[in-house]
Amino acid sequence: MEGPANTLNYFIAGYVVIFGIMAGYVTSLAVRWNNLKQDAAVLEELKEKEGEK
Amino acid sequence: MNTTPEPLQATPFLRVMFAVIWKDLSAEWRSRELLSAMLVFALIVIFIFNFALELDPKSRAGITAGVLWVTFTFAGTIGLNRSLAMEKDRGCLDGLLLAPVDRTAIYFGKMIANLIFMLVVAAIVLPVYAVLYNNFHLFHPGLLLVIVLGSVGYAAVGTLLATMTVQTRTRDILLPILLFPLAIPLIVASVKASSGFLGGQSWSDLRDWVNLLVVYDVVFIAAAFMVFDFVVEE
Amino acid sequence: MADKKPGLLTGLDILSVVLLLVVTGMVFFYAPLEAVMGAVQKVFYFHVATGWVGMVGFLLALAAGIAYLRTKDMKWDIAGVAGVEIGMVFMLINIITGSIWARPIWNTWWTWDPRLTTATIMELVYAAYLMLRQGLEEPEKRARFGAVYAIIGFISVPLTFLSIRIFRTIHPVVIGGGDPGAEGSFSMTPKMLQTFMFSLVVFSVLAVDLIWHRIRLGKLGEKVEALKMELES
Repeated sequence: MEGPANTLNYFIAGYVVIFGIMAGYVTSLAVRWNNLKQDAAVLEELKEKEGEK
Repeated sequence: MNTTPEPLQATPFLRVMFAVIWKDLSAEWRSRELLSAMLVFALIVIFIFNFALELDPKSRAGITAGVLWVTFTFAGTIGLNRSLAMEKDRGCLDGLLLAPVDRTAIYFGKMIANLIFMLVVAAIVLPVYAVLYNNFHLFHPGLLLVIVLGSVGYAAVGTLLATMTVQTRTRDILLPILLFPLAIPLIVASVKASSGFLGGQSWSDLRDWVNLLVVYDVVFIAAAFMVFDFVVEE
Repeated sequence: MADKKPGLLTGLDILSVVLLLVVTGMVFFYAPLEAVMGAVQKVFYFHVATGWVGMVGFLLALAAGIAYLRTKDMKWDIAGVAGVEIGMVFMLINIITGSIWARPIWNTWWTWDPRLTTATIMELVYAAYLMLRQGLEEPEKRARFGAVYAIIGFISVPLTFLSIRIFRTIHPVVIGGGDPGAEGSFSMTPKMLQTFMFSLVVFSVLAVDLIWHRIRLGKLGEKVEALKMELES
């Protein structure tokens, strides 16, 4: 029997994918959260203006 | 309770179901728009396959089942879409839903009507295929059974999903996208069982596939029975 | 409103990050190198853990679908979408890492193995779920149809698995024995088992954290939609 096969590249690729996709998803959550926050702020403002009229 | 003095003491459920089936079949008898679209489409698909796959006699034997099932399922999708879209556009569905009847009776009516359309298409496509390729082994009782079982499952899921998709904005493209991933076990089992029967395998060899088809039919008819109320509720 | 981030959630965030770092360190330095496959075997720990989280996400979507149809409470719809999204993200990681592992071990990126194929078909089912939702504007109808599709979509999964299973499989069954002839199977040493169990725990915590965030996002979205409605009228 030989020693372990040299599969380091695949190992690295695997972990790059794992952390890449998770980071991508967290970023997408953050971006969507901020966008909605902005929308909410704008809408609140509009609502107050309408209330003044 | 049932007070009408009919010779056949049909329950209200069955009467509604047969009324829906009858309505669909007689409308189709007058317009023939659904069946003609399905049939022309099915024949075109077979011709496309002929040239795309070079269906020479040797390779043909192995893929006949695949070609037939792709044809049936694609044509079935067209039929399902059209059948439920007509209900929606003409407001028939809304009228039916206002009536104080069991909604699942409407589901079974539509499903059986769609099943009949699929079987009619199969009944015309099979002989045409047999003539085109001079292959008259097609009329194997096993294959006919598989076609019935496969179509039942397909119509069961398809009718439920089409009732949802015709109410969406993207209704023309959505049905296949929703239906095909759920129909994969059905199509795999149907193709495998059909090609097994065509290849002369015995019933006991193919029992697994036929069982899977039966299980699929039962499971999805039961599931649709339980959730159909929710897709038509207003 | 519930806009203020709860302290518990911040704590969970920190815990998830720390645990993730620890388990990554464990995989890299603590778990021994497998004798035949070498380093790529280490992908296995997160491969299984992400698959587990994926299934949990889809199960949540199923449970939330049933709960929505029973109660008609929008919170179940929001939970269902969260389950589908987290399930899809982790199932995608599961599929890709599986493929990366398969390249050196099975000598192919892709085989029509039952689990691999079923996992991919599940991604398609839930992608269809998201498209169905996109086609509907009324929130109530969107929730109702989404719930129905989440339920029947989940029902189809075991049947899909079974249908492909009747073909033969080469996927190794590491847990619970099974076919010892499956190519690429191995037995775990205690250190491997510890790392494996710990990564399951870590990813479960991470999943709870992400699902919580996604539910908060869903609630904010619901609020914005309500504000829009209010202004239009």
